[in-house]
Parts: sequence; structure tokens; C-alpha cells
Amino acid sequence: MNTEDGKRMTPPRGSRGHDRNGGPAGGIRRALRAMDPEYERPGYWDRLRTSVMKRASLELARRRRLARVSVAAILSGWSRRLIPVAAAAAVVAAFLIGTEVRQASDASPPLLLEDILANEVGDGAFQAVISGQAPASPVAFMALVEGNVP
Amino acid sequence: MKERSDAELVILARSGDAASFGELVARYLRPAYSVALSVIGRHQDAEDAVQESFMVALERLEECRNPDRFAGWVLAIVRNRSRNLIRRESLRRGDEIPANASSPSPSPERAADISALRSRLTEALNTLSEVQREIVLLHDLEGWKHVEIAEKLGMPSGTVRSHLHFARKALRVQLAEWKDYRKGG
Repeated sequence: MNTEDGKRMTPPRGSRGHDRNGGPAGGIRRALRAMDPEYERPGYWDRLRTSVMKRASLELARRRRLARVSVAAILSGWSRRLIPVAAAAAVVAAFLIGTEVRQASDASPPLLLEDILANEVGDGAFQAVISGQAPASPVAFMALVEGNVP
Repeated sequence: MKERSDAELVILARSGDAASFGELVARYLRPAYSVALSVIGRHQDAEDAVQESFMVALERLEECRNPDRFAGWVLAIVRNRSRNLIRRESLRRGDEIPANASSPSPSPERAADISALRSRLTEALNTLSEVQREIVLLHDLEGWKHVEIAEKLGMPSGTVRSHLHFARKALRVQLAEWKDYRKGG
């Protein structure tokens, strides 16, 4: 069959392997060309295609509209869900940060014997640590180390 | 530029891309006509069936679960639509696509020759089974290869060859009296 854009122009390409030079099958092919509307009416396929596309235009427009709406709906749905989730996440994050700051300020680093030995503290402080009577507060302990205990 | 696959075109057409749908129509308009003609046997009705089938296909593109096999899917629609048209006996007549001014009409003699040949061919084709008509038209009119027909109609290649062989044999017998045919066209 002929075509509007250069593809599959006459003769048809079904001649491979069968009667390439006008044998019986080639004769049938030639005869069948009369069944091709383009044979009698040049430009037939172009017109038919145009006609199909014209009829399809409404449905194609509907689909384009639907595709646009779908994208907008996805974005809208996404933002509707995202805002409360983000707000909740911010509240949780603020709570966690506040808790950690409080814990950091309250916590005293544990005093290890190795630290005492390594820092060559005085006998008084050393005895206090060994006997378990070292002051809990770091400030008081530093005062003890430096011999400023009253 | 690389030719887009049927699957790519189907996906784009689902979003309303007219160029993609147009490309699918361009690819399968003629095979669809051959299938419709093999079922209905009359030009005008085949043309109607093809147009309606492409509308149905567009409306139901989401039902094409395997877009790579769009050809087989759309040709099945054409086949069913053509059978429905016959069943309903609501075939529209005398409403062909208007030929534009640039399309020269054939001379009366040539038109008569074509008409006579077409009648003879229609008679000959009517002696074949529907599947034989479809295969011989897709192969000898549309130019599809055996393997393409097998793949797109979902049947073994050997079956296609066999149908084609018997269809041609029957057509040869039917057309043997046609003088132009014996002269080689």
C-alpha cells in the first residue's frame, strides 16, 4: 500500500522469498493492489488518517486535561500531607533537642582513678577518691585538688 | 532519529499526546484496514470499522496492558468491531471520506477496470476463511512478513505460512480466469 510519509510505498514489500519476478504469488500481489483504496484515490490514507485524528481530538484533549489535573492533584495531596507531618516533626525535634541540652548540662563526667593518677593530684584528693568521699560536684572536687578546701 | 517503540507511543498517547497517537494511527491504519476488509469484505464498511476501532482503542488505552503488543491489541479491536458491525447490520453507506481536489479521479475506463477487478477479488477472497483473508491481505497487500504477522496476531509462524499458502492457492484458482491476472497485472 502507499503511504503519506514515504513508508511502505508501492509495491508492497511482501515480495521477499516469493516469486520476486512476477510469479504466481507476485501476480496475486499485483491483483490485490486493486483492493488498496489508494490505488484508485491517491492521498486516501492521508485523508483517512486526518479523519481519524479529527475524531480523536476531543478524547486526546480530555486526556491532556486529565493528565494536568492528575499532576496538580498529586502535588496538592502531597503538600496537604507534608505540612502537618513537617509540623509534627519540628515539634518532636525541638523537644528532643531541649531534652538533650538539659541532660548535657546536668550530667557530671564520672571521675576515674586513672584520671586522678594521670593528673598527679595531691594526696588529699587521692585519698578522698579512694575512700569514696570525693565531692560529687566538679567545682568542689577541683577545689579539693587545688588544696582550697577550707 | 530513533523511531519510538509502540510502548513509548502508547504511554504518551495515554496522556493525550496527539503526535504519539497520530504515529500509532499511521503505523497501523493500513493493517487495520486489511483486517477489517478481511472480515467485512466491503471497502466503505471496512473504513468505518477502522475509524471506530481507533476511537475505541484511544478510549480504552489503559486496557492495553502490554503496550509493546499494541499492534495485536488494536487489530483484535478492529476484528471484533468489524464482526459487530456485520452482526448489527447497521453499516453506514455512501459516506466516504471526501476526496480533496488534488486527488485526480481515475478515468471512467480505468475506474470500470478497477471496479471489475475488485469485484472479482472480493469474490475470490470470500472463498477463503477469515483468517486466510486476513493473512493474505496483511502479507500481500500490506507487505508484512510472516514473522511480523505471527508476532502481531499471536500465532505460530508455521501456521501463518500454511494459511498464506492455502489462501494463495485458492486465490490462484479463483483468479485464473481473470485475463489481466494471467497477463501479469
